[in-house]
Amino acid sequence: MVVTRRSTIGIAVVLALALGGERPGVEAQSASPIKVGFASAMTGPSAITGEGVKWAAQMLADEYNAKGGIMGRKIEISFGDNAGTPGEAVSAVRKLADVDRVDVIIGQTHSGACLGALPVVKELQVPMVIEACSNPKIRELIGKPVNEWAFRVNPDDVMLANQFAKHMSQSTKSVSIFAQNDDFGRGAAAAYDVAFKKYGIRLVSTEFFDRGQPDYRPVLTRVKRANPEAVLLVMLASEGSVFMRQFREIGLTQKLFARGSMATVEFLHQVRDNPSIADGLVEATYWTPALDPAWEKQWLDRWKVPVRVHGSLAAIAWRYAVAPAIEQAIKKTGRADRKSIRDALEELDVANTPVGRIRFDDTHQAFINMLLVEIRGGQLKILEKIAIQP
Amino acid sequence: MSDLLEQLLHGLTLGSLYAMVATGLALMFGVVRLINFAHGEFYMLGGYAFWYAYAELGLPYPVAGLAAAAAMGVFGLAYERGVIRTILARTWHVQLIATLATSITLTNLAILVFGTQPKEVPTTLSSTIVDLGGVRMAWQRPLVLVAAVIIFAGLEWFVTRAKLGKAMRAMSQNREACAVVGVDVQRVALATFGLSAALAGGAAALVSPLFNIFPDVGALLTLKAFAAVIVGGFGYVKGAIAAAFLIGLAESLAAGYVSYAYKDAIAFVFMVAVLLVRPQGLFGRRIGI
Amino acid sequence: MMRALRFTIATAFLIAVPWIVAATVPGQQRYVLHVLIFTALYGALALSYDLVVGHVGSLSLAHPAFFGIGAYTAALLATEARWPFAAALPAGIAMAGLVALAVGVPMFRLTEHSFAMGTLGFALVAQIVATNWVDFTRGPLCVTGIPKPQLGSLRIATLPGFYWTGLAAVGLVGLLYHGLTTFRLGRAFHAVRDNETLASAASIDPLKYRMLAFVIGGAVAGGVGTLYVSYVGVLCPGELAVSLSVNLLVMLFLGGVGSLRGVLVGSVAFTALPEILRMAPTWRMVIYGLLLLIIVIRAPDGFEGVIRRRSRA
Repeated sequence: MVVTRRSTIGIAVVLALALGGERPGVEAQSASPIKVGFASAMTGPSAITGEGVKWAAQMLADEYNAKGGIMGRKIEISFGDNAGTPGEAVSAVRKLADVDRVDVIIGQTHSGACLGALPVVKELQVPMVIEACSNPKIRELIGKPVNEWAFRVNPDDVMLANQFAKHMSQSTKSVSIFAQNDDFGRGAAAAYDVAFKKYGIRLVSTEFFDRGQPDYRPVLTRVKRANPEAVLLVMLASEGSVFMRQFREIGLTQKLFARGSMATVEFLHQVRDNPSIADGLVEATYWTPALDPAWEKQWLDRWKVPVRVHGSLAAIAWRYAVAPAIEQAIKKTGRADRKSIRDALEELDVANTPVGRIRFDDTHQAFINMLLVEIRGGQLKILEKIAIQP
Repeated sequence: MSDLLEQLLHGLTLGSLYAMVATGLALMFGVVRLINFAHGEFYMLGGYAFWYAYAELGLPYPVAGLAAAAAMGVFGLAYERGVIRTILARTWHVQLIATLATSITLTNLAILVFGTQPKEVPTTLSSTIVDLGGVRMAWQRPLVLVAAVIIFAGLEWFVTRAKLGKAMRAMSQNREACAVVGVDVQRVALATFGLSAALAGGAAALVSPLFNIFPDVGALLTLKAFAAVIVGGFGYVKGAIAAAFLIGLAESLAAGYVSYAYKDAIAFVFMVAVLLVRPQGLFGRRIGI
Repeated sequence: MMRALRFTIATAFLIAVPWIVAATVPGQQRYVLHVLIFTALYGALALSYDLVVGHVGSLSLAHPAFFGIGAYTAALLATEARWPFAAALPAGIAMAGLVALAVGVPMFRLTEHSFAMGTLGFALVAQIVATNWVDFTRGPLCVTGIPKPQLGSLRIATLPGFYWTGLAAVGLVGLLYHGLTTFRLGRAFHAVRDNETLASAASIDPLKYRMLAFVIGGAVAGGVGTLYVSYVGVLCPGELAVSLSVNLLVMLFLGGVGSLRGVLVGSVAFTALPEILRMAPTWRMVIYGLLLLIIVIRAPDGFEGVIRRRSRA
C-alpha cells in the first residue's frame, strides 16, 4: 500500500478511534444497571411468601452489587405485588415491564398468578423465570412454541410424584393425604393419587384444609379412624407446626411424609419447644439449607429469623438461572436486554449447581434434583438426591 | 364411641372460644346497639399481647394471660373513646363501615408491626397430654372450658350484683329510661367496650397456646361470633353463648363426619337458615343482656 | 345545550384516550391502558353495587358472589362448551341475576344487621363452594384458557380494544344507573331507602323495589365478571373474596354513595391513585382503612359531598 499523506491520516484516525475513542452506546450500556423484577404475593392471605421473596431479593442485590454487579453492571431490583391472584398478576407484570422497565422477571410464586402472568410476558416480550408455581398445567403453557418468554426452574408434583411414591412404597402400603386447599395442595393430591396406584399404595383418604384454619382435630380424628400406615402432608411450616402438635395430641403415630416446607429450619424453629415432634418425617423437596449454608447464615444475620423457603426458591432462580444467563448474554451480545437474556436462558447449561443441573428443555422446564430430607433428632438430614427425569 | 366423645369434647373447646368472643359482641350490641366488625381484631391483638407478655417478657402463664386481658381492656376503652363515641348516634351503616374500616387498619398494621409469620406460644398445659376416657387431649383444652364457664359465671354475677353491671343490663333493656334516672350512659358504654375487649383478650390468652396467632386470625372468628350472636338473638348474651357452643359442636361434628373442607359453609348455612326461619334467634326475642 | 356539548366533548375525550396516552406517555401506554381497563370495570361494578347500597339503602355484602357467578358461568361455558362471547356474556348476566332473585327473596325478609350478615353468609358460602367443588369449578387449580371475546369478525384482543369495551360497559351501566335512579323509579327507591314505613303507606312496596335494585345490581355485577375474565383469561376462586365488598365500600364512600359522579370518582381514586402514588401495598391498605374510617365519620357523602358543599357555599 502506498503510504500517502491521506492514508497516513486515515490510518491515524482509525487508530485513534480504536484506541482512544469509545462508542457512546457501549459506554452507556456498561454503566446502566440491570433491572430485575420480583413478583409475588406481597398482600393478601399469602403475604408471607411475598415477604420471603422480597427479603431474598434485597439480600441478593446487595450480595451481587458488593461484588461489582454482573460483568461490571449493577443490579437494580423492583417488586410487583400479585396478591396471589391472576388479575393482580397482570397488573404486577405490566408495572414491572412498562413502568420499572425490568429486563427480567422472577416470580410469581402462586399458580393462579403465574397463569395470569403468562400471556402478558409473552405480549410484552419480557423473560420470566418461574421459581415456585406448582400447577402442572403450566408445563403445557410455557416453552416452544406456546410461550417462549416463560421458563420454570421448579418441578411440580407430577414430576416428583413417581419418585416420591416409589420411595414411600418401600415402607408403607396405605396413605392418607392432608393437603392445603390451594393450587399446591390440590395439584399434589391429584398427582399422588395417580402415582400411588402405580406403586401399589392404597390411598385411604384425602383431606383438604384452608390455610389459616388452625383447628385440625376433627379431621385428625377421622384419620385415626381410617387408620392408614402413613400420612402425606402437603403443607407449609406455618400450618405444619400447629398440625403436628395436634397430631401428637391425638396420639397418632403414623409414618410421616411431606411435600411443602415441613423439613425446614422454619418448621424446626416453630416447634423449638419440642424439636423431635416430627422425627422421622421425610419430605420430598428441591432445596434445603444444607445446600447453601452461607445463604442460611446470611439470612439469619440479616433478618434475625430462620431462612424462609420462598425466599430461597427465588434465590435459586436468580443464582443458578437468571444471573448466569445475564452474564452469558453480556458476554455474547454485549447487552443484557430482554431478548438477549431470553436467548441466554434458552441456551443455558450450568452443570454443577447445588440444586443440580440447570438446563431448560424445549418446554422451558429445568430438571433440578429432587431431595429427600429427613427430620431426625430435631435436625435436617439429606437422605437422597434423585435426578428427575424429563 | 370414643370417637364421638372426642368430637364432642373438641366441639366444646371450639364452642368456648366462639362463646367468649361472641359474648363481647353481644354485650356491645345489647348495651349500645352497635355491631363491631373489628371485634375479631380485639382477639388478634390480645393474642399478640399475650405472646409478648409470655414469650418475650417471660411472664408466668396466668400473669401473661391477665396482662393480655388487661391490655385489651385498656385498648377497648381507648377504642370507645376514640372511634365508637363518634359513631354511636349514627346510622348502623356508618357504624358497620366504620368498624369494618378499623378492622382493615388494625389487620394491616399488625402485618407491618408483627410480620406475616404466625407466632406460636405453646405453654406447659398445651404441651402436656391427659387421657380422659380414651380421648387424649392437652390440659389446655379442659382449661379453656373451665375458664370459659368461670368467666360466664362471673359475668352473670357482674350484671346482677355489681352496680356497673346492673347499669349495663338496664341500659340494654331501656336506654332512654336509664338516661332519665341518671345513669351515666357514656360511662356505661365505655365500660362495656373495655369489658368486651378484655374478654376477647382473655380468650386469646386461653386459646392461642393450642393454635397460633397471625394478623388475619380475627377475620373468620368475627364471622363465627356474629353467627352465634345472630342465632342466639341479637343482644342476648346467654343466647349468644348457647348458640356459640351449638355452632362449635355442629362444626366439629360436621368436620369429623361430613366434610372438613365444607365445615365453615355448614356454620354459615346454619346461620342463614336461622336468620330466615327464626330471625329473632333460636331463643326468641329477649330484651337485654 | 352547554350540558350536551360538555358531555359530547367528554365522551370524545374518553374515546380518544388510547391515542392521547400513546402521545403523552409513550413508554408506559400499555400499563396506563391496563389500569384504565381495571378502573372502568371496577367503576361499572361499583355503580351496580351503589344501586343496592346507595339507592335502596340495603347494605348487601353479597356482591362478590354475583361477580363471581357471572365470571364462572361465562368462563366455564366458554372453555367447556365453547360458547362464543356473545352468548356467554348474557348467560353470565342472567345467571347472576337469577341467583340474586333466588337469594334476595329470603334475604329481604331480614332487617338491617341481619340482612348484612345474611348476605355475607351467602358470599362466604359461594366462595367456599367455588373453592371446593373442584370437579365443576376447577377450584384452586383455576379455569384457564378463557378466550378473548369474538363478536363476529371483531376480536377484542388489544389493550385499546379492551379499554373501549370497558368504557362502553361503564357507559352503559352509567346510563342504566342514571335511568333507574332518576324520575319516578328513582324517587320510589329513595322513598324506600329513607323512610320505609312512609313508603309502604304510600303504597310503594319496599320489597319490590329492593328486589329490583338487588337483582339488577347482581346481574350487572355478573356482566362485569364476564368481561373481567375475558380480559384476564384465568379465573381462580380467590376473585370471590369477601374483601371485594370492602374495596367496593371504600370506592362508594370515598367518592360519594348514591351519586353517579361520586361513585365513579371513588373508583378512579381507588384503582388509579395507588398506581400513581406507588405506595407499598400493606401501607396502602392501612391508609384505605383510615381514610374510610375518617370519611364515613366526618364526610359520609365523600368527595361528592365535599364538592356539593363547596358549590353551595
